Amino acid sequence: MQDLRDAVIATLLEAQQAGANLNVVVADSTSTSKIAPFEKAFPERVVNVGIAEQNMVGIAAGLALSGSTVFTANAAPFLLARSNEQVKNDVCYTDTNVKMLGLNAGFAYGPLGATHHCMNDIAIARTFGNLQVFAPADAAEARAVTRHAIAHRGPVYIRMDSDKVADLHGDDWRFTPGKPEVVQQGRDTVVFCLGTIVHEALAADLPNVTVVSLPSLWPLDVEAVRTLITAHSHVISMEEHVISGGLASIIGEILHQQRLGQRFTALGVPPYAFTHSSSRKALRRQFNIDAAGLRHTLEQAAQGVFA
Amino acid sequence: MDVQAIKQTARQARRYVLQMNHRAGKGHTGADLSEIDILCTLYMAVMDRGQARPDQDRFILSKGHGAGGFYCSAAAMGLLDPEVLSQYMGDDTLLAGHPVHQKLPELVEINSGGLGHGLPIAVGLALGNKLAGRGHRRAFVLLGDGELAEGSNWEAAMSASKFQLDNLIAIVDRNRLQLAGKTESIMPLEPLADKWQAFGFEVLECDGHDPVAICEAVNAPSTGKPRVILANTEKGHGISFMANVPAWHHLVPNDEQLAQALAELED
Repeated sequence: MQDLRDAVIATLLEAQQAGANLNVVVADSTSTSKIAPFEKAFPERVVNVGIAEQNMVGIAAGLALSGSTVFTANAAPFLLARSNEQVKNDVCYTDTNVKMLGLNAGFAYGPLGATHHCMNDIAIARTFGNLQVFAPADAAEARAVTRHAIAHRGPVYIRMDSDKVADLHGDDWRFTPGKPEVVQQGRDTVVFCLGTIVHEALAADLPNVTVVSLPSLWPLDVEAVRTLITAHSHVISMEEHVISGGLASIIGEILHQQRLGQRFTALGVPPYAFTHSSSRKALRRQFNIDAAGLRHTLEQAAQGVFA
Repeated sequence: MDVQAIKQTARQARRYVLQMNHRAGKGHTGADLSEIDILCTLYMAVMDRGQARPDQDRFILSKGHGAGGFYCSAAAMGLLDPEVLSQYMGDDTLLAGHPVHQKLPELVEINSGGLGHGLPIAVGLALGNKLAGRGHRRAFVLLGDGELAEGSNWEAAMSASKFQLDNLIAIVDRNRLQLAGKTESIMPLEPLADKWQAFGFEVLECDGHDPVAICEAVNAPSTGKPRVILANTEKGHGISFMANVPAWHHLVPNDEQLAQALAELED
């Protein structure tokens, strides 16, 4: 069990110790980002701009112009949404070498209420152009995505979770950007999962269901996704995110573009709905994006009822 | 510094602006003419661009709608082929209505146009130069005064002061006009010098059309703080019937106006 943030920060620390030229910009989010080990080793490379996300992203773009590889780390609900135009113009459109970590996405801040729930970051991220988008589901994926982000010259967004989660991959696992990762092989039904929600799908304990983690949303190996879809009769997307613009849209677009006829169930927050203050557990239960919700969906499907 | 050369170059840049906007039928003529003396002075007498990036002084055009003035100044200074000016705002053009780095990678540092972006970027650039041991390399940013209503500028101003960026020089093109009218009636900025001072800046004022005054303000000995220069300018400067007329923010001259304006720019 490991917190993805620890995995990311450890990877940044290793890279900097190995001679990378990294700067990390935070907006008061030093504890949220768990940056302490990096900051202890390289205090001058951590820039705290205070609670000012627009400025954080603009400064990150300027730091990148000065020649460094820049990571920003900020609570996800306030990152892409608050600094949307800076991300668009200063980072994506200008192609500056900025990587953005959206921390505690989804319902991580459950009891803090809807202002702190990040339900639309993937939907926003997908519309910029020139932005690679990742959502790691375990520490190994977080490390691999971070290493990729450092090596890739250009804008990257990484949706991050805050909980300690189990490892999905063995030591011999190798990350390929775009590749869907089958973490449980079944038949009939395939469940595509956004980020750490994959652990709910596995906890549903449905051995005949194929469970797929998609750490890389863009780039995405569409052909590999298509192959997974066509090997099953029922397709489910599962995400702690609104259905509009998120993983459901990604899978739905592939179904449409490839003229595939599989049954498709989208589990996530319905469009035009607000989430309210509850624990993450209760919110997942409310929107059927937990193990029980997935089991219920499968039971319904077995009776011919498709949501 | 060759003051006469700067003035002649600026005059040529103004001719280009009028001809280019007239030909295109588009442009921010007033905003273009406002900034030209500042641009020509910076590039001809101030900035050291002798080394490759990132080891050089850098310029960020925050008022991206002043792209035309920037292109025409570059053409007048020999940094851009004047032939290219005929492409201004055309299809598949190098010269977009707001500057695009990918189109002119040597000239344009950042794709600007949305307002309130340039100062945070310049802060990051100046800070990055310091962190990389290149604190002598300066980040220059040209801000429109109207865009100072954007809060991101003041976020950036706070951070410039916190990081003690004495290698940051912000220049405000203080022409007192914006799209809808006078800055002081739309969203008052005064006392503007006091505001910058309160944010920890060293504030200098100058005539934004006088190369000597601009140069003196830029090169005044450092006090260890980030510097802002309130450059008093006229929108539409150099052309009698455009100067200080709000409508020329994005009007373009017709044939008759072009002839008259060019006549006013005769040596």
